[in-house]
Amino acid sequence: MGDITRLILKRLGLGLVTILVVSVLIFFAVELLPGDIAQAVLGQGATEETVAAMREQLGLDRPAFVRYFDWLGGAATGDFGVSLVSGERVSEAISGRFAHTLFLASYAAVIAVPISILLGVFTALYRNTIFDRVANVLTLSTISSPEFFLGYILILFLAVRVTMFPAIASLSSDMTFLELLHRTFLPMLTLVLVVTAHMMRMTRAAIINLLASPYIEMARLKGTPPWKVIVKHALPNAWAPIINVVALNLAYLITGVVLVEVVFVYPGIGQLLVDAVAKRDFPIVQACCLIFAATFILLNLAADVGSILTNPRLRHPK
Amino acid sequence: MHDKFKDKEILLEIRDLKIEGYSDETWVPIIKGVDLTLHRGEVLGLIGESGAGKSTIGAAAMGYARDGTRISEGSIEFDGMELTTASESERRMLRGSRIAYVAQSAAASFNPSHKLIDQHAEAPVHYRIKKRMEAQEDAMQLYEQLRLPNPREIGFRYPHQVSGGQLQRAMTAMAMSCRPDLIIFDEPTTALDVTTQIEVLAAIRDIVDEFNTAAIYITHDLAVVAQMADTIKVLLKGEEVEQAPTQQMIDNPQEEYTKSLWAVRSFNSPQRYRPTDGSDPLISVQNVDAAYTGGIKVLDDVSFDIYPGMTVAVVGESGSGKSTTARCITGLLPPMSGQILCKGEPLPPRYKDRTRDQLRQAQMIYQMADTALNPKVRISEIIGRPAQFYGGLHGSDLKQRVDELLDLIELDPVQFYSRYPPELSGGQKQRIGIARALAAEPEFIICDEVTSALDQLVAEGILKLLDRLQDELGLAYMFITHDLATVRSIADEVVVMQHGKVVEQGPKDEMFKPPHHPYTDLLLSSVPEMDPEWLTTVLEERGVDNIGEAADR
Amino acid sequence: MSIFVIVYYAALIGASCLAAFYKQRGVFMLIFSLTLVSFVLGIIGGAGALRLVATAAGVLALAAGTSYAFREFLIQISRPNLAKELRTAPLTAAFGMFVIFTYAIAGIFAPWIAPYGEAEVIGQAFAPPDQNMLLGGDQLGRDMFSRIIFGARNSVGLALMATLLAFVMGAIAGLLAAVKGGWFDQLMGRIADVIMSIPSLIFALLMLSIFGTGLQVIVIVVAVIYSPRVFRLTRAVAGNIVVMDYVEASKLRGEGDWYLVRKEILPNATAPLIAEFGLEFCFVFLLIAGLSFLGLGIQPPTADWGSMVRENATLISFGDITPLIPAGAIALLTVAINFVVDWMLFRTSGLKEQ
Repeated sequence: MGDITRLILKRLGLGLVTILVVSVLIFFAVELLPGDIAQAVLGQGATEETVAAMREQLGLDRPAFVRYFDWLGGAATGDFGVSLVSGERVSEAISGRFAHTLFLASYAAVIAVPISILLGVFTALYRNTIFDRVANVLTLSTISSPEFFLGYILILFLAVRVTMFPAIASLSSDMTFLELLHRTFLPMLTLVLVVTAHMMRMTRAAIINLLASPYIEMARLKGTPPWKVIVKHALPNAWAPIINVVALNLAYLITGVVLVEVVFVYPGIGQLLVDAVAKRDFPIVQACCLIFAATFILLNLAADVGSILTNPRLRHPK
Repeated sequence: MHDKFKDKEILLEIRDLKIEGYSDETWVPIIKGVDLTLHRGEVLGLIGESGAGKSTIGAAAMGYARDGTRISEGSIEFDGMELTTASESERRMLRGSRIAYVAQSAAASFNPSHKLIDQHAEAPVHYRIKKRMEAQEDAMQLYEQLRLPNPREIGFRYPHQVSGGQLQRAMTAMAMSCRPDLIIFDEPTTALDVTTQIEVLAAIRDIVDEFNTAAIYITHDLAVVAQMADTIKVLLKGEEVEQAPTQQMIDNPQEEYTKSLWAVRSFNSPQRYRPTDGSDPLISVQNVDAAYTGGIKVLDDVSFDIYPGMTVAVVGESGSGKSTTARCITGLLPPMSGQILCKGEPLPPRYKDRTRDQLRQAQMIYQMADTALNPKVRISEIIGRPAQFYGGLHGSDLKQRVDELLDLIELDPVQFYSRYPPELSGGQKQRIGIARALAAEPEFIICDEVTSALDQLVAEGILKLLDRLQDELGLAYMFITHDLATVRSIADEVVVMQHGKVVEQGPKDEMFKPPHHPYTDLLLSSVPEMDPEWLTTVLEERGVDNIGEAADR
Repeated sequence: MSIFVIVYYAALIGASCLAAFYKQRGVFMLIFSLTLVSFVLGIIGGAGALRLVATAAGVLALAAGTSYAFREFLIQISRPNLAKELRTAPLTAAFGMFVIFTYAIAGIFAPWIAPYGEAEVIGQAFAPPDQNMLLGGDQLGRDMFSRIIFGARNSVGLALMATLLAFVMGAIAGLLAAVKGGWFDQLMGRIADVIMSIPSLIFALLMLSIFGTGLQVIVIVVAVIYSPRVFRLTRAVAGNIVVMDYVEASKLRGEGDWYLVRKEILPNATAPLIAEFGLEFCFVFLLIAGLSFLGLGIQPPTADWGSMVRENATLISFGDITPLIPAGAIALLTVAINFVVDWMLFRTSGLKEQ
């Protein structure tokens, strides 16, 4: 087991370093602003005094790396400073919305992951049949469509023409869980459509790749029935590729969620980010970016660790 | 037909079998009407060069057509059951229980996720022939019969924890698990080293004898098939050439093609000796140690000399360090210590630090002609570039030089000048590789397993060509090979390597006469000979218990 | 029951009988299952649903016909080698090529095709379609159709520029990394890792919030975000080629890095690189469309599909499909490119198996 522990620790260390490097990137990108934050936010018309006052307030007179460590220390404890526009604490603006985003993403993931893996395995088994070809064309089309296109089509047909679901996914605190599911159904469906297509294609490719191995032919030549070939011989070796596919697509959800939140006016962190970008509210932009990037990196890390743990060669060293 | 089996019951009868393969949007015939009769307990050797369709026939005997192939005509009757018209589930019921299969690459054909013994027990438990514990017990017995080390324990390992030769035996044991009537051996020892091969061959032969199992043994190696088979069938491009009992086939082949196969390796180049005037060797490898980055030492104090106009064969099994030595000489892998001299002058260890003239001196010819020639570059440029690069030739001079070189390697300049490598056959590609090396006008050429990927007839042509060029141009060769027959026919001096060390070296005539270093002895005696009694004799000489782990150290 | 419904079922059943008679198993299964589905649909949705199905089938048939004819056309006008390749193209790929061709024409000749200028106000806001304005007016009363045509030039052009830049940067870095190896390879790999560890849209938003939304900024930012993907692919493809003996032979001959890249590696890497260019373009195009949709892409009054969706989005709640038209235009192009790339990838992987 020594090998495995070392490999996993190495991966975890690498993940941590990546998050640190990304945090440096996010923090110092803002330093690249022509002038500085105070000037950029207040604009050309601001008087010297107001700019100076803002500099004072933000502590811009201190060297950048000191501010970076302040910021990083704060971020680690959940404190991202104060919004430049509203004066609200960034952590307060984010926390509730982040929970909403996580809810939407998990809602989509819970439905998309099993469906797409099953469909992926089926298309791989029945490859080159009509079913497979139709699935291929449909998934290609879904992948190629921008999220807002799918979102508006769903709104048009399921919210406007037939009023089954609300077009705007606004939330209130007194909703029951069922109401919540109903209210967020369309944004969830949009995400599911996009992610399922990706995940299904990747699963299919991974399985087909696996079915070409000599040990699968050997299993067939041993008289093993087809379902057993899949369950006993293909699946144990398929975990690593499938884990990777799932993690990659959950990471993809993070990007998709920004556009979908805007389409459905869903009060999540994505919408907050887009608003903040338009208003140049840098503390919020930095905080949101760091959260998205960290989630993304953690998911990829989880996939790496997962494929190490399921690799038979590593699990049973010589 | 072998007399011994005349009155035995017929187990497998294939009549007028035709199989087609799908390529370039059409179905093209691969097997063009082959008949085959196999009696109970008979071992039939199927031999032929690559593309002869041996393996396809082997799969068809199980009623199995690989992806992209289909059985288009003919009948396959196994013990009274017609496989071409049987349903898929009926055919599946035969596989594993009555017909078993042993694949070429055991390492790839065992599922990496399961223990050997679990994979062994799968078929007998599935067919309810044995209970799980019985099947395990039986596996251990079979492992013991196949002389696997620690037979009671080895089954509980995963495939990657077991060596190649052992895996191949474990796969044979797995094929035996249901005591089938017929086993298909599809080149089971091709991927193994000679010293490992002999052990696997002995194990397979014993167990097939013991259970009186019928077998189809597919291989391209005549000497191997001579040890294993009762009857030999020769195939060429999907058609049968001839069939006869083994002894008769070897003593008295009827067809021209078979005779030519048998005659291969009769070629022998006269032995040359070192100059006695005390001149410097052309290349001198002195006390070289080498390792790949971060790895363990792969070369340990390697020294040998190559004199002008002579052929030095470097022999050893995979992992012995023979190719690594070549990488050190060419400068791709700088040695950790020691040096390489060229005509008495030390060569810079890195190829990047060498002068053009030093680079020109040493040329390479590669094993895989497919990867040695850029598929997107015309022949004229492949050969022309070195002449242009080193010799500064241009325009009509260059064209003339390329024509000359093509003539030298016996290819028609008009026909080949502007073609691309993928349009050529394996032997032609290898000739182009030789021409590219010659274009640099070197004095020394490293030939890295140049004939091992080629069919025997083609390989012989290449050896003859190399020998002729050596006489005409006074070249020195370093000939890397694992094949002792090649060494016999072309070498002047032999260097035997094992585990990164030179174990013995000397002129060829001395090397092939005893006394030998024990490893040289093992290597020499492990090369199969055409005599059907060879394996039996060797086993008797060595003693059954001694061959086992000598191979799998 | 209307005549339409009777004709509809008669046609379907007749067609499935014909298919069965001529032993076209696939076609028969397709048509007959459509018939069965139609029974259910007809009961639930009435004649309207059937009309929808019939229209969809008609559109599909028309698309298939166009693709078939277009493929024949391409086969006729191309050289024998290329024609042989084209013959293997499935209808989806032919359809993709046709769409790309149409978009190219629309983009190049936009000022001549479009009846009005892209910023010209000629009618009422949200005017319904009429003979003058084929697709109606937008939120300021500009001609939707003209803006769509101009959008082909602006949106696609911008994405093309960003892709080209990403490709040049990524491919050169990838090829050099494969040939040089060592620290250069390591460094490039780490840089790519870091850039790719931030989700692309998020990274783009961060950069645009800092540098503003100028066209040059968009092109450079998007190129920087996507060049690591090109780098990785090129590095992988070139890495497989660099280990070939023919490259070793060239190295040992003393050839320089540039010769290796140009003569030995590039000719063998073109097929996967072209396919990757198509895929990369799709990603870039979708990212830029997303940015425009969020109001951070091409700025008004320039016609751009992403912003047009955003500007007309309110219409959707009235059941009007206007905002779907530019969104559909985006989707259609990416679908088309993906169809072509899918075929090309299939071809290259198919060749590998032989």
